[in-house]
Amino acid sequence: MARSLTSNHRPRRLPRADLGQSTLGGVLVGAFLLLAAGAVLGLAANHFSSRRIPIFPKPGKDQQPVALPLPPGVRSMSPMQAYAAFRAGTALFLDGRAPEEYAAGHIPGALNLPAADFEAVYPDLAERVDAAQSLVAYCQSIECGEGVEIADRVRELVPKPIFVFELGWEAWQASGFPARKGEQP
Amino acid sequence: MSEGRARRFLGSPVTGAVCRLLLGGVFIYSDSHKLLRPDEFARLIYGYRILHPDLVNLAGIILPWVELVPGLFLVIGLLPRSSAALLGGLLALFIGAAALVMMRGLSIHCGCFLPILSDRVGWPLILRNSVLLLLALQIIIWPSSFLPRRRAPGTALPR
Repeated sequence: MARSLTSNHRPRRLPRADLGQSTLGGVLVGAFLLLAAGAVLGLAANHFSSRRIPIFPKPGKDQQPVALPLPPGVRSMSPMQAYAAFRAGTALFLDGRAPEEYAAGHIPGALNLPAADFEAVYPDLAERVDAAQSLVAYCQSIECGEGVEIADRVRELVPKPIFVFELGWEAWQASGFPARKGEQP
Repeated sequence: MSEGRARRFLGSPVTGAVCRLLLGGVFIYSDSHKLLRPDEFARLIYGYRILHPDLVNLAGIILPWVELVPGLFLVIGLLPRSSAALLGGLLALFIGAAALVMMRGLSIHCGCFLPILSDRVGWPLILRNSVLLLLALQIIIWPSSFLPRRRAPGTALPR
């Protein structure tokens, strides 16, 4: 308990230094300063990060909505471009999702290459991957990272054009493009 | 519990400290995975389909830090009301965003605790954020702090 050294009256609790926290204006100014500090730190951290992303993306001619960085040598593909490649039959589609998700619905002809079991599954698919003209990797939606992950790993093994259909299965389905259920491609 | 006892309990320094540590701790923990992965976090934000795509990356870059700074301040007891007000405002936004996602029928990950415990957006998420919002309100109404007490005029420093 706090005690006074110069007087013998009953000690009382003293208010804490509140740094402007006792008024609404002070609270709001403090909140704004914290917000500004967080924003500056975030921008600085992104600037020096190895996973830096552009602050304001510039959508390319394929109108990809989020210009997120892709591994070197891996290019992005819009739904219409993916459908064009599907119709032309020039690309082999690789589905990076789990087998259950693949079985629930996938792009016809796509091979299931779960990112989580890449090393175990890839040897069985290597021959067909080698024979393809180009490759298109995808996963569930723009949120998932499996499409980018398998594209990056396949790129290290086979030197051929490789794309990521970033909007993935949900966009394919929403566009009404052909779909297939089951474990078979 | 009578109204007076409830008020004493809610206003006690121990309750305040627990609320500060819980709220600050949750945000610090959830941010520990997002800070260095702005690309993954931006994807998740895009999944909400609320922000304009041009702003998604900016949000992915600064949001984890805007959560982390007040979280740290809450844990150390500095600017508790401002920190709780900022986090409370963010929580209110998150609750509104989750409600909007549910109304639209989207099934997306909330991105709360990357890469684990990334629940899908739904009622459990809204409930959890509402509880955290109550913690923020407790801190705003009854702030507690580790700051030293002020020195009263004519007295020596308290021991």
